[in-house]
Amino acid sequence: MLRATLTVLLCLYLVGFALCLAGNSGSGASAVVRTVKSRLFSPWMTPAWLDVGHDVRLTYGQPEDGGHRIEIRPWADLARGRTIVYPTSAIWGERAARWGRLARAIAVGEQDPDREGLLPAAVGVGGFRLVGAEDVSLRVLRQMMPESAVIASGGKGAPRFEQAYAARVRRVAGEIQLLTIEDPAELAPLVPEVAP
Amino acid sequence: MTARSTVEGIRDERSVGRRPEQLPRLEDWIGEVWTRFWFTPADPRPLALIRIATGCLALALWWSYAADLEAWFGSDGMLPSRTRGAWRSPWGGSIFDLATTPTMLRGIYLIGGLVILALLAGLCTPVVSLLAPIFFASILQRGPMLAGPADDVVAVILWCLAIGRCGDAVSLDRLFFAGQAGPQVGSFRNRIAVSLLRVHASLLTIAALLAQLKGDVWWDGTAAWWLAARSADRTIDLTVPLAASLYATNLLTHAITLFEVVFALGVWCVPLRPLIVPLAVVCWPLLGLFAGEPFWGLAMAILALAFREAADRGRGGIL
Repeated sequence: MLRATLTVLLCLYLVGFALCLAGNSGSGASAVVRTVKSRLFSPWMTPAWLDVGHDVRLTYGQPEDGGHRIEIRPWADLARGRTIVYPTSAIWGERAARWGRLARAIAVGEQDPDREGLLPAAVGVGGFRLVGAEDVSLRVLRQMMPESAVIASGGKGAPRFEQAYAARVRRVAGEIQLLTIEDPAELAPLVPEVAP
Repeated sequence: MTARSTVEGIRDERSVGRRPEQLPRLEDWIGEVWTRFWFTPADPRPLALIRIATGCLALALWWSYAADLEAWFGSDGMLPSRTRGAWRSPWGGSIFDLATTPTMLRGIYLIGGLVILALLAGLCTPVVSLLAPIFFASILQRGPMLAGPADDVVAVILWCLAIGRCGDAVSLDRLFFAGQAGPQVGSFRNRIAVSLLRVHASLLTIAALLAQLKGDVWWDGTAAWWLAARSADRTIDLTVPLAASLYATNLLTHAITLFEVVFALGVWCVPLRPLIVPLAVVCWPLLGLFAGEPFWGLAMAILALAFREAADRGRGGIL
């Protein structure tokens, strides 16, 4: 009887685990997988941190796969104010990796309408105390991955970063404001007026 | 009674009253394999080894939160409750949600660390083996955007350890309470825990492999280059040799894929285990180091240890 009960429980768990892998694959999930998983398995597998996709892609060679970092500076004195960068060169290992994931989540999270602006605003407010100002510039910088031809020709220099996200976060009359700053490179070019 | 003799015992019972020329029925064979795989009593020592290795890894992952605990989870930190809510599933919950002051936050965090330390040492194992995954899942639920692949794997291993009797060997429990505990015996709970770890080792590798193979770079052979070039502060810097040779880059990329395929499937073939398990214990950490996820590599190596069992020596077949 005990063996039969355990067999049923094991089968149930393994089906749930397989659905969690299929339902968190990063490529979306079918309606049936989503529904069955969310109704039968997510309520008890999510709190245990088992409702996870484990889709460790390692790299797709995309710019988003580069290392990310957060930079916070007082808006009023961008050039000379105290600048906070996470992770710094003194931070290493898993701690640095967690800061990198937070930075990446800010950049990637902006593409999700349900989460847009939430994380940058929270991180910006968290940075108020660190830089001693309630009006800050928050930037997420992404390390540019060099082409192999550049390294092969001896062109290995200091790592270069590009701006993945930028915003101004400030507190005005007790209210938090987030002003997203568009990257000039992504703005549409002005088309000169041509005479007919 | 050892695991091997128990299996032979089951075989002997089944063969009584059966003509020698009669082949076993399919359902009998499936039942026998299922029973052997999930319910044969298992030695606690392999599970104890996994407990110690996982305890060390979980402690390192726990420690990675220490310096920034308040910067992230404090009342005026970067991840306040309303932000966390948007990131976390409605079913998610965390004991860190109870922390309303810095002292409470540090207190809960410290207790969690002590629980993991107790698990590592094998002290009050029946209790701490259950508390450790609860705490570990809690800290991940508090800041889901900070969690990485190593956290995901360690959470799975900790839950598996909670099922088995991982404190029955190489533990302080064993040292202090040897008289009450009696002789070191196998338990079907250990077998379920080890078998679950084995199934997870294979499934997690397949999940990672499928995710990787969605990217073109794993097919055109350049993934190794992008792994080497992704971060300036990498531990193993292979950018120069890989940039010099496209073939070397291709070979390394295909070798990573091949290793994952061989591990996920080949490890179920018992005669191949003496080759694959040591290979996996070396290759997973190296791959993790190269990919910038060293703790994930170590966690996968720990999962591979679940296939290391003395009872398998000289046995043929699968599972």
